[in-house]
Amino acid sequence: MPQDALAFLGRYALQRLAALGRSTLMLFNALSGVPRPIRHFRLLTAQIHFIGVQSVIIIVVSGVFIGMVLGLQGFNILKNFMATGSLGTLVALAIIRELGPVVAALLFAGRAGSALTAEIGQLKASEQLSSLEMMAVDPLRRIIAPRFWAGVISMPVLALLFCMVGVYGGKLVGVDWLGLDDGIYWSGMQASVELAGDLGGMALKALVFGLVCTWIALFNGYDCKPTSSGISAATTATVVQSSLAVLGLDFVLTALLF
Amino acid sequence: MKTRRTEILVGLFMLLGIIAAVVLSLKVAGLVLDSSSDTYTLKARFANVGSLKLRAPVRVGGVLIGRVERITLDGESLTPVVEMAISTRYDHLSSESQAAILTAGIIGEQYVGVTPGFYDEDMGTTYLKDGDTIENTNSALAIEELLGKFLYNSSSDK
Amino acid sequence: MAGDQALIEVSGVHFAYGGHPIYRDLSLTIPRGKITAVLGPSGTGKTTLLRLIGAQLRPDQGTIRFDGTDVHALPRGELYELRKRMSMLFQSGALFTDMDVYANVAFPLREHTALPEEIIHTMVTMKLEAVGMRAAAALMPAELSGGMARRAALARAIALDPELIMYDEPFVGQDPITMGVLVRLISNLNSSLGITSVVVTHDVKEVLAIAHQVYILADGRVLGAGTPEEIARSADPRIRQFVNGDYDGPYSFHLQGGRSYLEDL
Repeated sequence: MPQDALAFLGRYALQRLAALGRSTLMLFNALSGVPRPIRHFRLLTAQIHFIGVQSVIIIVVSGVFIGMVLGLQGFNILKNFMATGSLGTLVALAIIRELGPVVAALLFAGRAGSALTAEIGQLKASEQLSSLEMMAVDPLRRIIAPRFWAGVISMPVLALLFCMVGVYGGKLVGVDWLGLDDGIYWSGMQASVELAGDLGGMALKALVFGLVCTWIALFNGYDCKPTSSGISAATTATVVQSSLAVLGLDFVLTALLF
Repeated sequence: MKTRRTEILVGLFMLLGIIAAVVLSLKVAGLVLDSSSDTYTLKARFANVGSLKLRAPVRVGGVLIGRVERITLDGESLTPVVEMAISTRYDHLSSESQAAILTAGIIGEQYVGVTPGFYDEDMGTTYLKDGDTIENTNSALAIEELLGKFLYNSSSDK
Repeated sequence: MAGDQALIEVSGVHFAYGGHPIYRDLSLTIPRGKITAVLGPSGTGKTTLLRLIGAQLRPDQGTIRFDGTDVHALPRGELYELRKRMSMLFQSGALFTDMDVYANVAFPLREHTALPEEIIHTMVTMKLEAVGMRAAAALMPAELSGGMARRAALARAIALDPELIMYDEPFVGQDPITMGVLVRLISNLNSSLGITSVVVTHDVKEVLAIAHQVYILADGRVLGAGTPEEIARSADPRIRQFVNGDYDGPYSFHLQGGRSYLEDL
């Protein structure tokens, strides 16, 4: 029995390691090679539209609500210490340092990541990837690469949007509804949020999350079993792995940056 | 036509991203785009600057007129010197103005409050120019000193 | 079958998929400009053969030569160059679902050539006309029947005027009329354009009518080879069973191996 458990552990570790190797190879092959600017630009805009533009609504709505909740909770707690003047600082730092990039990345994994996995899996199952390959068109460069870049570009933009509307959501509750002074809200924020440290850190986090989530999504689709159950398993795996990766990496990046 | 629409939407998306970045830098991080030509520098000597930070606001009657640029220690007198960048829109500050380090609320941020002085040419007052020093200052309220004084006084009373 | 006439030479190929051997020492040659039929019962890995030729899969042993070059020894870039000379008609057609029929056929042209749109339009129209699908140019793949999808895919497969077309089970699931149309198409493309064709199928009668050369695969190697007439006259009971579709014969209806029926009960 212990041998079985050990063997299972070993087999699992080897499988994970092999998958990591395959995914690295996939990314390397997709991103190597000479870019063809005009055609690739078209493919890229189409993918940014799919990955980024179509995620704007959910990102903006979530951002506003998270900002509003922070404003409400923050105001009620700070009121006990007569420190509602720090509401702006609280909302801005919470959103920019942690919630913005993390929540945006989790939504991104759920909205765009799962869709990417399902799309690639479907292309694989219906032999369209093989068909491209036999038409001498490398599916890694034609299908994977533009989606990867689109994810890497879209994620920071989405995180920026999330942070901006989040800060305004906090202002809506704190200033417009609960009567905090507008100037105090903003100046508290301005005195404590640093351009390079906080906003730069946020952008860096968003970039890393975008890269990792897109990579996970594309690999799961590309590597899935070409059946209905295979695609659904891959889609689930994308969301689970991306979420865990985002939360884990967030801790590491926070420890390094702040 | 469909690709054209996609391209326009993607363009808008990128534009939104840029707007968000600009709003966040200006409004949230308080980045001031004004170059030095739009501000002039005033100095003020304090006995104690407390926990005044760089980029802390400088206000007249609560209105922002500039920000703290540098905090240094004067080598000879060993007193802190605060350099402030004041917007050129407010160039009518009299040399009799007072500067004080104040606190917004009990545990709020510290800022420099400037109280404008009177202006009368006959009495030799001038407007503060670039590089001038505000002589009349009030230092930061150091709570620990206050407490110390209070405790010392109350114990000596007995 | 002189050596200089063979477009593809498969020699001594061993291939196993997931620990399950599919080919054991498979050797065959595909002559230039002819229709070669590869027959065999389902599950003998006929599609695998096409993927091996297209170098999507790599054999465990043995070589496959296309026009004298070992396809599996080529670096990536040259392999993709070589693939422009071959094309494959997938069982499902594998049309790109997000493009209409016209864009599907134009895809290889736009991807590999810098031709102006007018010339592409002419070429696409010609290819669609060749498969009788000109009227369906604006339809999306989801709106096509199985037979139409396969014809559209065929138009796409011949867009770059390849030297070789590999048909993967082109007749599966088609009604007799569509089957007849596809048989005619394969034959016409071969005779008019001189394209070397490999048809992998288990629909014996249809393909025997048009093939110049037949291979029958079983148990991971070539069971019988020859012209359709030779195959039809073969005395080998295994070939006879397959060609005639007899129930009884050397190949049993039940899968071999495992426990006995009694044990399972």
